[in-house]
Amino acid sequence: MTAGPQVARLLTLAPYLQRREYVDVTEVAADFDVKPRQVLDDLQVLVMCGLPGGLPDDLIEIDLDLARDEGVIHMRNSPLSRPLRFTRDEAVSLIVAVEAVREVADGPTAQAAQSVLDKLSGLVSEAPPVRLEVAAGGDDVRDRLGQAIDQGLQVRLTYDGLARRGTTTPIVDPVRVEVRDGASYLVAWALDRNDWRSYRLDRIAVAELTGQPAGGHGAPPVTGTSLDNAPDTATLDLDAGAAWVAEYYPVRDVTVLPDGGVKVVLPVADPGFLTGLILRLGPLVRSVDPPSAAADALAEARAASSQLD
Amino acid sequence: MERRTSERLVNLTVALLTARTFTSKDRLRDLVEGYHGLNTENFDRQFERDKDTLRSLGVPIETGTDDRYFADEPGYRIRRNDFELPPLSFTPAEVAVLVTAAQVWQQASMAESTTHALTKVWASGVEPDIDRLGALRPHISAKESAWQPLWDALQARQIVTFTYHDVARRVAPFMLAYRHGAWYLAGFDDTRGAPRLFKLGRIRGDVTPTGQPGAYELPDTPADELLAGLEEAQPDSTALLEVRSGRAPWLTRRGEPVDQGQEWGRWKLPYASGGAVVDDIAMGGADVRVIEPPELALAVAAHHRALLDRLEATP
Repeated sequence: MTAGPQVARLLTLAPYLQRREYVDVTEVAADFDVKPRQVLDDLQVLVMCGLPGGLPDDLIEIDLDLARDEGVIHMRNSPLSRPLRFTRDEAVSLIVAVEAVREVADGPTAQAAQSVLDKLSGLVSEAPPVRLEVAAGGDDVRDRLGQAIDQGLQVRLTYDGLARRGTTTPIVDPVRVEVRDGASYLVAWALDRNDWRSYRLDRIAVAELTGQPAGGHGAPPVTGTSLDNAPDTATLDLDAGAAWVAEYYPVRDVTVLPDGGVKVVLPVADPGFLTGLILRLGPLVRSVDPPSAAADALAEARAASSQLD
Repeated sequence: MERRTSERLVNLTVALLTARTFTSKDRLRDLVEGYHGLNTENFDRQFERDKDTLRSLGVPIETGTDDRYFADEPGYRIRRNDFELPPLSFTPAEVAVLVTAAQVWQQASMAESTTHALTKVWASGVEPDIDRLGALRPHISAKESAWQPLWDALQARQIVTFTYHDVARRVAPFMLAYRHGAWYLAGFDDTRGAPRLFKLGRIRGDVTPTGQPGAYELPDTPADELLAGLEEAQPDSTALLEVRSGRAPWLTRRGEPVDQGQEWGRWKLPYASGGAVVDDIAMGGADVRVIEPPELALAVAAHHRALLDRLEATP
């Protein structure tokens, strides 16, 4: 039934407008996630709705001219003063979304998220059958970063990056925390790189304020990291046991081979990362293209295996 | 055409909400302008469809009779308490959380459900404050094609069939778990007679619901044991490693420093013998030496030699 979505929206729109004496069509459109044209269409239906009885006073009153010409909605006389309760899908999706916020937020925000959950849990008869686990790093790190972002402060990170396969201590201006593919990342301006970088929160061992304010660098790129623009790629042919690579890393392409092996194309922003991956996969690697991309890994493997001799 | 339908459905809802008693079908036919001019057969059909539509949106229409009046005729009503979202109020910090939550789901139908839920919250009188979106952007994605049918079946408590590791399964879904960006299903596998964990990304082909909704109950603590299987195995052994200073932090952070020199340091590392410790050590290349136990040192050396054999063999 195609009228369903509009009816659901109207049952919410009427109480929404009733509580807001004058509101912009554009604001309503944004809150309801529909086009302004749809809002105007909805208003045309609402003016035909009201108390049964058919008397003029029974109907919802909206100044349609004001809405059309000035983009402002003024409504009165709605018999619907409260929205419909949540459907099960609505309650569960909202509760899980708030849980996600709690999992990755710093102390004060996580507390606010928990109190939202306490309020919402009274509205459902059972806990949502969804479990979220997001790698979010230590509480201290999150709290310090939350504070630094809020107050515009610079931090020094102790970072266990995989690219260098060692610990570095970059000084950064932190801007936001993103969650992608189940892990949290700090998006920050790295002073030594003079560029934006992402740092996985669970690899930030320590975050300390340097005492300097953060500089202004504009808005960071919308998604992703230097990986998205990496000019180089390497193609790895792997045994079936390494198929998890395609699921775990942002591969550009993956082909399943007839015998169950996989061919993955990986973007390479920092060669150290690829070296570490090849060393880790070891016997599961069938070939690397270009062969030069494996040179460092082979040199390390040679040095490491000769240590025993 | 759709406008008239929406109009009629909203008016029917209002009529049922505002009546103080059960209202008969005939009375509703008079009260709701959208039913005027329909012959009886068409009205009956339309009314049934309208009730179904409203119920599918979550409108709680009750059937019953008010004994004093229409003892033979069924009547209908909506009780305000059942219809209305209870009053909600949120602090500014809580509103900021809700505004952030609006952006969390990257999966289309869940994102839509979240938007609908939040517009109901705003319609309760809570003001959304977009400026408070702030610096936190958590996202949950659900790209696996099995996700939507499993979610629907889970909500409906309906058994599903699908192929997993080349074997056909019949499963009662208990829980969906999200870990490291991948989704897992915990459920009772009829074909194995036991609870099982399935990685959604490995389900090949369709997930098909079978049988009736409401076919089973969720167990009380359904998935805890199963999900523990996703956790890393508990350490049962200890290695002694030599690591170049500042290198291989993924090992040293799990370990205990023993003797720290200038260039090299010694670390005690607990590990699970059945786990991936050889891979983890190998990743450190020449920056990591295994001092003890000897079997582990040999295993790591064999791992590196196998890599060399394979890659150096190819011309």
